[in-house]
Amino acid sequence: MSTMELLASGFSVVFNPSMFFMVVIAVVLGTIFGALPGVSATMAVALGLTFTYTMEPIPAIVFLVAIYCSSITGGSITAILFKIPGVPSSAPTTFDGYPMAQRGEAGKALGVALFTSAVGGLFSAFAMFLLSQPLTQAALQFGPADLFAVTFMGLSILTCLDGEHVLTCIISGLLGLLLACVGQDKMYAVQRLTFGNRQLLAGVEMIPVLIGLFAVTEVLKQTNKKDFLNAKDGIGGGKVNTKMPNLKEMWSIKWTMLRCSVVGTVVGILPGAGATIASFLCYTMEAKVCKNGPKFGTGVIDGVAASETANNAATGGAMVPLLSLGIPGGNAAAVMMSALVLKGVQLGPLLLVNQPTYLSATFASMIVTNIIMVIVAIGIAKVFAQILSIPYSYLGPIIVMLAIIGSYANQLSIADVQIMVVAGIMGIVVRACHLNSAALVLGLVLGSMCEQNFSRAYLMSQANLGTMFFRPIAGPLMIFCIVMLVLPVILPMIKKNKANKKG
Amino acid sequence: MFELIVNILLFIFLVFTYFTHVLEAPVPAMAKNNPYALQPDVWPKAIIILLLICIAINIYKIIKRNKGKEEFTISAFLQSVPKFFTSKMFLGMVIMVVASFILDALGFMVTTILVLISYGFLLGERKIARLIIASVLIALVLYIVFNGLLSVNLPRGTVGFLRDFALFLESIMSGITGIFG
Repeated sequence: MSTMELLASGFSVVFNPSMFFMVVIAVVLGTIFGALPGVSATMAVALGLTFTYTMEPIPAIVFLVAIYCSSITGGSITAILFKIPGVPSSAPTTFDGYPMAQRGEAGKALGVALFTSAVGGLFSAFAMFLLSQPLTQAALQFGPADLFAVTFMGLSILTCLDGEHVLTCIISGLLGLLLACVGQDKMYAVQRLTFGNRQLLAGVEMIPVLIGLFAVTEVLKQTNKKDFLNAKDGIGGGKVNTKMPNLKEMWSIKWTMLRCSVVGTVVGILPGAGATIASFLCYTMEAKVCKNGPKFGTGVIDGVAASETANNAATGGAMVPLLSLGIPGGNAAAVMMSALVLKGVQLGPLLLVNQPTYLSATFASMIVTNIIMVIVAIGIAKVFAQILSIPYSYLGPIIVMLAIIGSYANQLSIADVQIMVVAGIMGIVVRACHLNSAALVLGLVLGSMCEQNFSRAYLMSQANLGTMFFRPIAGPLMIFCIVMLVLPVILPMIKKNKANKKG
Repeated sequence: MFELIVNILLFIFLVFTYFTHVLEAPVPAMAKNNPYALQPDVWPKAIIILLLICIAINIYKIIKRNKGKEEFTISAFLQSVPKFFTSKMFLGMVIMVVASFILDALGFMVTTILVLISYGFLLGERKIARLIIASVLIALVLYIVFNGLLSVNLPRGTVGFLRDFALFLESIMSGITGIFG
């Protein structure tokens, strides 16, 4: 089958009137699911499974892909408006999106998030279609040392998160890494750092900590204020300003979108990585590479673009190993895989050879979803933005309850709610001590993957660190990471010395 | 002073953790006898050592930065303690801690109503009747969205009549779902 025939077959599936209607429904559902705290992208796809029981395998994957892509985008809505990341991969979006909303630029932040999500999603859809098999083969060449280097690159942002408090950022990141060690270690199942608490055996869950540190801390902070945050975000006479960004602003972030699309897609393909690591990694990368890098965290569109482009680019990436090799790239892809297996589809390298329509239909679904998603998400964002008009004496407690539900729904565990509350209170201590919540979360998110890959690489290189990093991918990446970690510490020292000499 | 105290306490806690809680179970023989395996305590211990170094430097920097300042004394800190315990923020923390502990026993609906009323009052809403009605309505909406539409099994509560009430609500939900489904 030629490429054009393949494309035609894919789009004919999606543009079938009933299927197109289902895709629109999937986008609406996915965006709402994604925006609701506690409903992760995986959970959204799992909820969507119910609708696919009566569908044929190809429409089923089209429907689930639409839910998956739009749920990742939906997560940015609450991240920007309430500082509650709807999905974990939207956590870095809060760093710049929320300050923008506070400043009266909620619409601009949402517009950037939705547009860049679409760009990331479309890029990864094309990458998936054109490079599906070669990309998978390349990703399979990544050994544990390379994967460790990739995750370590995410950690190298620590010294750049807050230029005035580099040391406390490092302490926060290390605390996050230590939190990721709690529970049974992933290699030998040895119990560590639980202090006898059985509920901690499975480790510290990321979602309750995220919700606690970001949402609950914010509500607690607002509680102490005399003048509450009252719905207005500056302009619009009491209404939330949903003015979209202009073309010039969008053009200014073109390189950020391009870089994050590429990196996000590659990270999406890597097994075990996924949208969360992609968004953190790209935020890290852009904080250093982009010209607005030093302003990251203060509310710049580049920060929102980095995170949102990357997490949506990872969606296409995650589909690559699923379709080419029958290996799910992440949790959501695993749910989709189970849906196909339920329908008796034989997944594996022969799937695309025997039935290439799976690839083309998935591609068509991603293209259509990413376009419809912008329109649908703007509508949903406007509805969510209206929530900000509710007096804070009602909105604050609602956020608290959403935080409680969000942490509970993840594993139906009361312990997770308690962890979320502790994280919320710790967030206040973290602020008072000039520690950095973002650095702590970064350590927690990347910690487990970092340790596992380091352990594996150490074992495989027979405890030889030289062999471990003397690899074409890991070597240059590690050098880059070390330079990036050390530079922000050394540069001010050099500047200070020069100033002293002149003085 | 608070920052210094937190850093000192964290330092002591980490030293204690390093010697007592890094490993809480014996290492399996397959790891112990393998000279190339990274032992399960190496990674957390390395992080703790780095943390101790960074915190020690931070303590030195805090002392250097605040030396001679009037508010940087134990007595000034002790004076600020009662102020914190009477602040709205502390009461907010108490509400959340209590909510996280009563959620299992009282169930979702009652906990939500109590949280919405108490936190709403704390945040300055003084129209009690409106607050109560709004709290009940919001609790119902949240329940319908998460339990009914998204099939999240919210806590029913362990207290007999509250559990029965939750089961009653669930039966109504499944009845409605049945009609539309």
